[in-house]
Amino acid sequence: MMTIPTTRKPSILGGVTLIALAAVILMPLLLPSVTLATEILIFALAALACNLLLGYTGLLSFGQGIFFGIGAYSSALVMIHWQFSLFGALTVAMTCGGAIAALVGALAIRRTGIYFVMLTLAFSQMVYFLAYTLSDWTGGDNGLLDVPRPPVSLGGMTLLDLTDSRAFYGFVAILFMLIFIGARRVIHSPFGTTLVAIRENENRASAVGYDTRHFKLLAFTLSGVVTGLAGALYAMMLNFAPLSNIELMMSENILIMTIIGGSGSLLGSLLGAGSIIMLGDLLSEIWPRWMLLLGVALIFVVLFMRGGLWGGIEALIERWKERKAHQQPSAAAAREEAGQ
Amino acid sequence: MLDLYLFQILNGLGLGMIYFLIAVGLTIIFGLLNFVNFAHGAFYLLGSYLCYTVVALTGNFWLALLIAPIVVGLLAWVIEKTLIQRVYHLPHTFHILITLGMALIIQELTIMTWGPVGKSVATPELLQGVVIMGDFAYPKYRLFLILFSALIGFGLWLLLERTRFGALVRAGSEDTETVSLLGTDIYRLFSLTFALGVALAAIAGVLATPLRGANPFIGVEVLGLAFVVVVIGGMGSFSGALIASLLVGLVQSLMTTLWPQGASLMIYGAMATVILIRPYGLFGRA
Amino acid sequence: MQRRTFLKASIAASSLLAVPSMIRQAQAAEPLSIYGVKSVSGTFASYGQYANMGSKLAVEDYGEVLGRPLTYTTIDTEGNAGKAVRKVQEATQQKGALFFNGCTLSSSALAVGKEVAKAGGVFMTPAGADELTGKNCNSSTFRWSVPTYGAIRETVLPLIKMKPEAKRWYTITPQYVFGEALLDNAKAVFDEMGVEHVGNSYHSLQEQEFSGYLTNAMAARPDVLLLLNFGGQSSNVLRQAVNFGLKRKMTILLAWSAGLDQFKELGPELIEDVYLGAQYWHQIDTPMNNAFVKRVREVYEMNPNYPMAADYIGTKVLLDGIKRAGSTEGAEVSRALEGYTYEGPTGSETVRTSDHQVIKDYYLLRGKAASEMNDPDDLAEVVSSGRTFPAEDAVGCNMA
Repeated sequence: MMTIPTTRKPSILGGVTLIALAAVILMPLLLPSVTLATEILIFALAALACNLLLGYTGLLSFGQGIFFGIGAYSSALVMIHWQFSLFGALTVAMTCGGAIAALVGALAIRRTGIYFVMLTLAFSQMVYFLAYTLSDWTGGDNGLLDVPRPPVSLGGMTLLDLTDSRAFYGFVAILFMLIFIGARRVIHSPFGTTLVAIRENENRASAVGYDTRHFKLLAFTLSGVVTGLAGALYAMMLNFAPLSNIELMMSENILIMTIIGGSGSLLGSLLGAGSIIMLGDLLSEIWPRWMLLLGVALIFVVLFMRGGLWGGIEALIERWKERKAHQQPSAAAAREEAGQ
Repeated sequence: MLDLYLFQILNGLGLGMIYFLIAVGLTIIFGLLNFVNFAHGAFYLLGSYLCYTVVALTGNFWLALLIAPIVVGLLAWVIEKTLIQRVYHLPHTFHILITLGMALIIQELTIMTWGPVGKSVATPELLQGVVIMGDFAYPKYRLFLILFSALIGFGLWLLLERTRFGALVRAGSEDTETVSLLGTDIYRLFSLTFALGVALAAIAGVLATPLRGANPFIGVEVLGLAFVVVVIGGMGSFSGALIASLLVGLVQSLMTTLWPQGASLMIYGAMATVILIRPYGLFGRA
Repeated sequence: MQRRTFLKASIAASSLLAVPSMIRQAQAAEPLSIYGVKSVSGTFASYGQYANMGSKLAVEDYGEVLGRPLTYTTIDTEGNAGKAVRKVQEATQQKGALFFNGCTLSSSALAVGKEVAKAGGVFMTPAGADELTGKNCNSSTFRWSVPTYGAIRETVLPLIKMKPEAKRWYTITPQYVFGEALLDNAKAVFDEMGVEHVGNSYHSLQEQEFSGYLTNAMAARPDVLLLLNFGGQSSNVLRQAVNFGLKRKMTILLAWSAGLDQFKELGPELIEDVYLGAQYWHQIDTPMNNAFVKRVREVYEMNPNYPMAADYIGTKVLLDGIKRAGSTEGAEVSRALEGYTYEGPTGSETVRTSDHQVIKDYYLLRGKAASEMNDPDDLAEVVSSGRTFPAEDAVGCNMA
């Protein structure tokens, strides 16, 4: 839905991944804590998944909290009741997240525009209600306590204990990079360009012969898989799955991170999650009403900066490059003059 | 037991009229401007707090009922001129985002101005007390709300269907250019309509305060409810909003006797079902 | 700049690796940090703001402990249990934090309790969940507020005795674990006293419209309407009950009120003659409370409310524990707190060893009419007070 170039030259592809990698490596060193960095990466994953829908397919979903919460609950439950391993639990979270997303998606994509938004909103409220009612499973309002954080193991052999917050960060960081690279692949694949075509003009896309529903549903499922994974990682990080995971507020927060960071760019998701979580950390103790700034930022993004923060940075870089391009010939000319 | 159901039905109709008041502004703005206003609940919130302030200063509820919608309507007019007009032409998602931003700002400003603790407003003296109906009692104030909402609804219908203003706005929403050619400043019409819709939210806020008090987070709940009503009735449909409000009020009231925990599940479930089966609402135009 | 932060990070990391207690003992004059976990921003700001003021004042009044100056750090939960846990993790891992007070929300308190226990610290909370000193109790977590059992027995029982003619009771309950706990306790009292429970309405935690439930209540023709919800929901149900004229037809008891703030929000018109259960009331006449009220009036120019009092005393008791232990070792402080008796706002209060529940009074208040009030905060009078707690073997707490 936002304005971004639909195709990019492959030469920049590697660059973007390198920037993400640099950010992932530098974050724990520059931020006041590793746990903060872990939370940022987890929400960057959720924002990235939201971006897949919003930025690349043009679907504004208020249902991301559903998948996040389902990921957290499903992984926690299989670990608590059936002692699933780390990868087992993450697989369950991704499967459940994807399956629920496919179900919600299958219904929601039957409508477009505001009706689509309202459907995701209604589902979000209904699933929240279910989570709150099924308190024997979810812990209801008290939340699900004692969620384990199993070690990385292979065939019963423990390879890496994740109790230490730095080790866990490393694990999350590797998953993040894998998904980041995977998401880039998807976006630049024929599938991804079709999604963008749907975003730009759904009627044309279907006139050309694409089954747009099929593509939207796939995007939804993928988004659910990644969001479910993020939810599971969040539960493992906190050793706790609060009911707030599945609230409408969670969907709203993920959306706001995606939009302010820059919908339509994967780095924007990292930037959005990072800046909003850090802003909350820095400001909430000094100025409890800091959320006001989010409101201002949202309005600003809609009116002046559709590409979000990352779009703004890109525009700055472009301008700088242009200026440099202008300056260079004149500098060369000056040198020539001096030489003569 | 039969008496109880009968009374729950009555109460549900009363509730429905309050919901109508909450939702009608939203549906007018959508129907005539094709604009999705996620800040509707926030304007209701402002109305509620202004009611508190006016009553605290003057002790007069009726003055609050007059002042709050005017102040909030003027504010909406300014916001429409400065911000909203720039985004009419954009897809609905942008409407949602920009008004979501406004709602956040209004909510936080409310806490900054009035503090995080809620406020109460007493029922106006004239309307204190109840009307006895057999075993049951119905508050006079709620009876007044039903009558007042009906009156507002009738007035709105007259305004939209029987006046030049209404005709122009309706024509403008179909075909902006033609109306402009007729020599009417279409943008002024839009500003007025937006201010009217928002002022209605403020009126609802004022009227609900004696029942629910004012607290900084009521906006979100009200917004959800308003959308349920508007979607079920058909977005933009005036009569649809009325019938849907009554339905939602009835369901909610009866559910408290039948299956109280499921009330919100039912309401949102109904909304989803309506969108899937009759996307333009029970009474909307396709 | 980058290099320096990197150095700082690696120093912090290495100090984490070393056994922290040894380092801490070596730096005896280092300031000691007390952490207040408060919902300063977000949905529960109305509570967190005053709770924070209470903790801050307690630390200020204490000045120093074991010859070490005290500092106070607020951890803002943003009204979100997830944020609360992450920020507490950060404090324990990065700064070696051990001493925490606060958490309004039961979910935050339960999860933070686990987190502090993992770090071997001490956590004092006023949250409502019975699980805190029940099935989720642990050696680090202490709770100041009276559990649902006592809250019901100290309000329902005295009212039954005061009004022997009121034989029919109706309840309105939020359907989740806390509401169920209150309801179960109330039903037990009804059985015991031969009072008829003529009906109950459950509602969800999102409900703000209670006319339907009040109609059900009217149909059952009770003598007493017992409200088991709290916060904004109890305010709204009370507003609407008064609006429906129920106050004239029956006695209304709100078992778990939020105290002064809520009464001020509702005003004397609404709470006149309503019975209100409370953990704290600023007019309690005990030496400690009189001094505390005087101090708060001096510093903040207001009367203390429940959040402020609860977190003031919670923080103070935490510091007492450190003093008694003569150590900043979490486990030793926990042990020093067990069985500790001190002068609290409700009189002499004791920390029960078996479940870390503070044994203190719960109050039954009656809302005053505007004409009875001597000052704007004189909104209620104490009708009765007392302390009943579930038997130590009945709470399901197993510390080991």
